[in-house]
Amino acid sequence: MLGTLAGAATACGLGQLLQPAVAEELKSQQKQVIFLWLDGGISQLESWDPKPGTVFGGPFRAIPTSVPGVHVSELLPHSAQRMHKLAVVRSMSTKDENHSTGVPRILRGDPKNRGVDYPYLGSALSKLLPPPENNLPPYIWVKPGRGGFIWQHAGFLGARYGALALGEGKPPIHIHRPETISDATDEARNALRIGMNKRFRQRRRDSEIDAYESSYDMALKLMQRKDLFDDSRLSAADIERYGTHPLGRHILQARRLIEAGVQFVQVTSYHWDTHGDNFNMHLDLVPQIDRPFAALIDDLEERGMLDNVMVVLMSEFGRTPKINQRIGRDHWPEAWSLAMAGCGLKRGVVTGKTTNDGAWVDSTPYDVGHLFHTIFTALGVDPHFTEYMNNGQPLPIAHEDCEAIREIMA
Amino acid sequence: MNATEQKTLDASQARAAKTLKYERQLTRCRVSPCGRYLVAGGQEPLLHRWDLETEQRTTLEGHTGWIADLAFETGGKRLFSADYHGTVHCWEYAAAEPKPLWTIREAHAGWIRALAVSPDSNLLATAGNDRFVRLWSTTDGAKVRELSGHAGYIFSVAFHPGGKSLVSGDLFGRILEWEVGTGVQKREFDAKTLHTRGDDFLADVGGVRALAFDREGNRLAAAGMTDAKSNTFCPGTPAAILFDWESGSAQQLRVKEKSDGYINAVRFLADGTLAGQGEGSGGAALWFWKPGDAEPFHVVKGQSGYDLDVHPDGMRIVVPLFAPIGHGGNGRRAMKREEYTANGTQVTVFELFAKPV
Repeated sequence: MLGTLAGAATACGLGQLLQPAVAEELKSQQKQVIFLWLDGGISQLESWDPKPGTVFGGPFRAIPTSVPGVHVSELLPHSAQRMHKLAVVRSMSTKDENHSTGVPRILRGDPKNRGVDYPYLGSALSKLLPPPENNLPPYIWVKPGRGGFIWQHAGFLGARYGALALGEGKPPIHIHRPETISDATDEARNALRIGMNKRFRQRRRDSEIDAYESSYDMALKLMQRKDLFDDSRLSAADIERYGTHPLGRHILQARRLIEAGVQFVQVTSYHWDTHGDNFNMHLDLVPQIDRPFAALIDDLEERGMLDNVMVVLMSEFGRTPKINQRIGRDHWPEAWSLAMAGCGLKRGVVTGKTTNDGAWVDSTPYDVGHLFHTIFTALGVDPHFTEYMNNGQPLPIAHEDCEAIREIMA
Repeated sequence: MNATEQKTLDASQARAAKTLKYERQLTRCRVSPCGRYLVAGGQEPLLHRWDLETEQRTTLEGHTGWIADLAFETGGKRLFSADYHGTVHCWEYAAAEPKPLWTIREAHAGWIRALAVSPDSNLLATAGNDRFVRLWSTTDGAKVRELSGHAGYIFSVAFHPGGKSLVSGDLFGRILEWEVGTGVQKREFDAKTLHTRGDDFLADVGGVRALAFDREGNRLAAAGMTDAKSNTFCPGTPAAILFDWESGSAQQLRVKEKSDGYINAVRFLADGTLAGQGEGSGGAALWFWKPGDAEPFHVVKGQSGYDLDVHPDGMRIVVPLFAPIGHGGNGRRAMKREEYTANGTQVTVFELFAKPV
């Protein structure tokens, strides 16, 4: 339904803004999430928690924001102007200082170890949120490099909750059915495939065949929405506002997918792990998230979607206050920041505080379990009453020792 | 005649003779024309002046941002300093408690990265992230000229010893020669090997991190790093390029030691030897190349270093070397909060002559 509405709006040439009636309809629809992941770790000191003039502060200045008294790094001028729409947490304090274990640990919500693989956030929400009334994959991952169906994200939920990864934001190859294949032929070959899958499934684990069937099903769904990947439909203004670099293009693609009704879109940008030349790198990297992030917030608000769409911008940890021998910053899970906006969240709020030198949390520390409670609660899923059921075993959806970060909850 | 003047310059004898320790990271250092003082600055808005004999340290206050570069006038009494907030100060460096004689605010939009003083000491050149080179009167800081032509951040600037030309090097490996008297761009030297942008990089890596002329102005050295592997650790191959000033022909200089960072500074010694100081993840080196040789004839391995200057006696060089303090690397490593401190510096004075027996 949502996809149909958004698609109709585009087809009718409504341009940047959906008509109020359509926007109202969208608002009454499902909750959606855009999850922006800066892989490797953006520096909190060069973004949301600047400490200029202090021992670890770095060379950048702090600038005022649209919220009186709140400052961010001068590298975030566009986000600074949208601070009244954001909720920033400056007191994240997590446990893992390694990428290899830290990324999945964060993306699974770092639950207590019960010997099972918890789902990544996108898979979890595909399971927990009401299924969208459209014909689109619920969990799409826009990323650099190759795409494919990433069933591993689903963990114990099973492959069908996996991520459809769009490498470089492009649709899966072979999305276009050759003209030489008629509808009847296509129907016949699909029937054959389904029949063979059914036979193959006998005496085999579900997940293998589920993964295959899910990926095929998602490709079929996307075949109906080739318009979502037609860049000729993009306005020059949007291209300019989001930027022509990969992260900007991918965030713009995420907006299109969310407008079409996809439930959860993750956008990943790699190479934020600035162990060397941190300040020169952040000088060029941070603007690549600042401008499209601000454009995304503006667009969601203008479309009346910010009440139902949550945006999360984060990494697996922050960066060390201490500057190393290559003028870089290393991994720092002790005290770092993230930004959120939209569904179920207050606007224009900053919570959490770090010490004057930025090294340590100087208020209530929040782990990723708190973040998952916050996300679930804000989206209308009560983590205290909702459980997964895995082979008859009830499992909490978020770390049971954590709570939502109330200061940012609407 | 002092002891060093009786020695013969021989970089193969290079050895650390003195270290000046400081609890913050210093990235720039210069020796005064009189030879008595060493001034250094870096990751704080302060300059530090050491008396090289007594090692007494005096702090110069006035900047608001990290120190980007320093330059003494030739044979005079003034020191010029620039910071990451775009401010330039002029100091009487030998005063008991130096205060800025004059100041340029917002000399550049954003960071200033490099300074140079003309051979006649009348002009100060500054270069910054706004892609401009600007010339200023050293008398009062009045703007004289603006040079526009770079497309990337300008990392380095140097006057030709003849005083009529100026060169500036940028992120993309372009070195532009400017006519000082008119501001006209005259030539371009190709140092693009010092820039890397891999297909999956989020940012350009490299740049002409240092420029230096030899005493006669016959050779121009440019330094940085080639073949960067990523924009995260920014590892690559330390590199320097030697240009013949008249013909513009280039010679790529190599290093033999395993090192993965920039050559941050180069200087010519009186005998034509080129010295270059590098940084690296697992240590770095101070390299020496003889004129005409592509490979260094001598290497001093050590910590990462960020700058290099030659003492006026020509027999010593000074380098700010990284000095780790406490635990480094990822995470807190089970330390107490109060044990978590900034890294420091050992400003090291290397003697370049045979150790007296």
